[in-house]
Amino acid sequence: MVQSKKQKYVFLAFCLVPTFILFSIFTLYPLFSGLYFSFFEWSGSSSNREFIGLSNYERLFQDKIFPRTILHDYFLVVTKVIGIMILAIFFAVALTQLKIKEAPFYRVVFFFPNIMSVVVIGILWTFIYNPSLGLVNSGLEFMGLGEWARPWLGDENWALPSLVLPSIWAGIGLFMLLLIGGISNVSKSYYEAAEIDGANEWQQFWKVTLPLIWPQIKISILYIVITTLNGSFIIVQIMTGGGPNNSTHVMGSYLYQQAFVQYNFGYGATIGVVILILSLITVLILQFLMKREKVQY
Amino acid sequence: MKKYWKSSSMLLGGVILSAGMIAGCSSDEGDGDNGNSGGEGMSGELEIQYFVGGYGDSWWNEVIADFKEEYPDLTITEHKGPNINDEMRSRWVSDNPPDVVYIDGAGSSETQMIEDGQLANLTELVEGMEVDGEPLLDNFIVDPDRHDGEIFSLPLVFDTWGTWYDKAWFEEEGFEVPTDFDSFMNSMGDIQDKEGIDPLVTSGQHPYYFLRGMLYPAFGAAGGEELLNDVITGAEGAWTSDVVLETMKKVESMQQAGYFDSGLGALNHTQSQMNFLLHQNAFVPVGFWLPNEMANDVPDGLEFGFIPSPMQDAGEPYAIVPDLRPLAIAENAENKEAAEAFVEFVFTREYAELFSEHTGAIMNVAGVDLTENENVPEYLKEANEMINDPEQVQIYQKPHPMSADLETPIGNALLSLMLGNITAEEFTEEAESAAASYRQ
Repeated sequence: MVQSKKQKYVFLAFCLVPTFILFSIFTLYPLFSGLYFSFFEWSGSSSNREFIGLSNYERLFQDKIFPRTILHDYFLVVTKVIGIMILAIFFAVALTQLKIKEAPFYRVVFFFPNIMSVVVIGILWTFIYNPSLGLVNSGLEFMGLGEWARPWLGDENWALPSLVLPSIWAGIGLFMLLLIGGISNVSKSYYEAAEIDGANEWQQFWKVTLPLIWPQIKISILYIVITTLNGSFIIVQIMTGGGPNNSTHVMGSYLYQQAFVQYNFGYGATIGVVILILSLITVLILQFLMKREKVQY
Repeated sequence: MKKYWKSSSMLLGGVILSAGMIAGCSSDEGDGDNGNSGGEGMSGELEIQYFVGGYGDSWWNEVIADFKEEYPDLTITEHKGPNINDEMRSRWVSDNPPDVVYIDGAGSSETQMIEDGQLANLTELVEGMEVDGEPLLDNFIVDPDRHDGEIFSLPLVFDTWGTWYDKAWFEEEGFEVPTDFDSFMNSMGDIQDKEGIDPLVTSGQHPYYFLRGMLYPAFGAAGGEELLNDVITGAEGAWTSDVVLETMKKVESMQQAGYFDSGLGALNHTQSQMNFLLHQNAFVPVGFWLPNEMANDVPDGLEFGFIPSPMQDAGEPYAIVPDLRPLAIAENAENKEAAEAFVEFVFTREYAELFSEHTGAIMNVAGVDLTENENVPEYLKEANEMINDPEQVQIYQKPHPMSADLETPIGNALLSLMLGNITAEEFTEEAESAAASYRQ
């Protein structure tokens, strides 16, 4: 039966209008509210607020802590992208290509951290890093490497790198599954052909697997970047609160501190606007850098 | 200027001496009148917001149940919990606050609420209020803060920070209970040698524990209320003054001697308190709520001992800086009449004594005898006795809590000093710079 034009539009409206309404309420409205509040001096705990134009933005450019938070954010972005992608690709390839009998079990094990709340992960790793009772220092002492033991989260130099490990641990599973999906879609005949041509497994990985799962890798990298820029504040907030001495503050946790601890909600909203701008710029640059012709054999 | 506490009759300890008076109060309060004219005519809903932290909520439950009994036609809605300040924020922002608020815990700021015009002016109410047959204003241990001469909140909880130690352990091992800074250093050195532990712990995630628990008394002892006022308000030159630098040099010397827990930078307040309970450290600066907050984790044999933080020079009395947690009425309260009745209901000696029983801390009401009360912990009785002896302890009052805008950067620099990453001189410069930003 051929649909009339009216029916087609009704159907489209039925699909799009509710989505657009929800998108407007839960995405556009908060977005523009954040932008609006960034022009106010407001404690965030009362209805009194004063319009101050661009003063919050001027203040942001003079803030000595904020540039450090940007660096910390990108440190986490880079280390997480490298750590998660290497390990996720390794595990994905191992579980699909090496014909391991226990592969389903390992898939569950690696994915397990993804079903845990980030808050729980943060608390768990706080105990692991505990200077006197934690697994890390106890393990080092057990191995006779006691001089390497340190208060990981309480050391201004080591606190930020210490956050990388739980972040990677928590992120591997999802991207491993994504890549397993990609690898599973690669036809076995490509590998057979490569083998006949004399390619070893390493060459098969570089010449067959990697090019064909590039779309999944690209999506994974973009996803890690976006979620790190927008969401790494949770693990920071739980594990260090941004300390010691601001050494682990990321933009999100600094926003939280300004808005909800120091009662500078307008200034916090300004930081939020900058996070949005930086995220957009970063994603655009990444899109450009990772642009490749789609590979088909 | 050093300020001795109010006259002894105003002090808890002073009142400890006047048992007869208490007997009189007890008989007055026995009829459950609580100084109120009666429960007639009060109806509608009364919303009460209170933070539940280390002191728990059992005292509130009892008081509110009694109030409900007094005013049966009143519907009381409680908003309580450890995160209640954040949970109720949207109500305050939308000018639909609860009627009564107890201002305490994370996410609350009395100063901010007054600046935002959220609290009702209580001056007239308080000046005309009588409790236990006496003017309420004469019954406070510490008077309410005044902002431009007006009262917006009534200090309910008389909290004070000090240094805790395990009395039983100290007696058993023969460790010295510090009496001044030199003796504090000697004691920590002795403990470090004998036990092989870092003797002092505090929360690195919340450096204000050390700021309020150790530095405020140190500033009070070294420069009196004037210095305390200057550092808290961020007055120009206060943080780089010689007297502040001398105090920070003391902190630096503690760090250089290795007396701070090496892992304190990572510890939140409960972890630091847990370390103390486990004898991984010997001293921890916390408020009166410590025993109540950690009640479920106290090992057998541990006996809480409390001293005002011993940061003062030899020969000087200890210093204490009270930390008051106030009760207030919202400017936009819908049931102000009931809110006022509740405030009046709470500030009695009966409930003050009950507060000490429930929480192991002190309510800001003078004339309460705790000495004979078996339900009040021993450390509190001893601390009271000490606090109320001006020969032993001097009390310095701070003007108001330090703004989070100043406390946060100073806390960060303080942690760096405690970790040994900066010197005392660098700390004072960073703190002065933070004060300059704050003043803008």
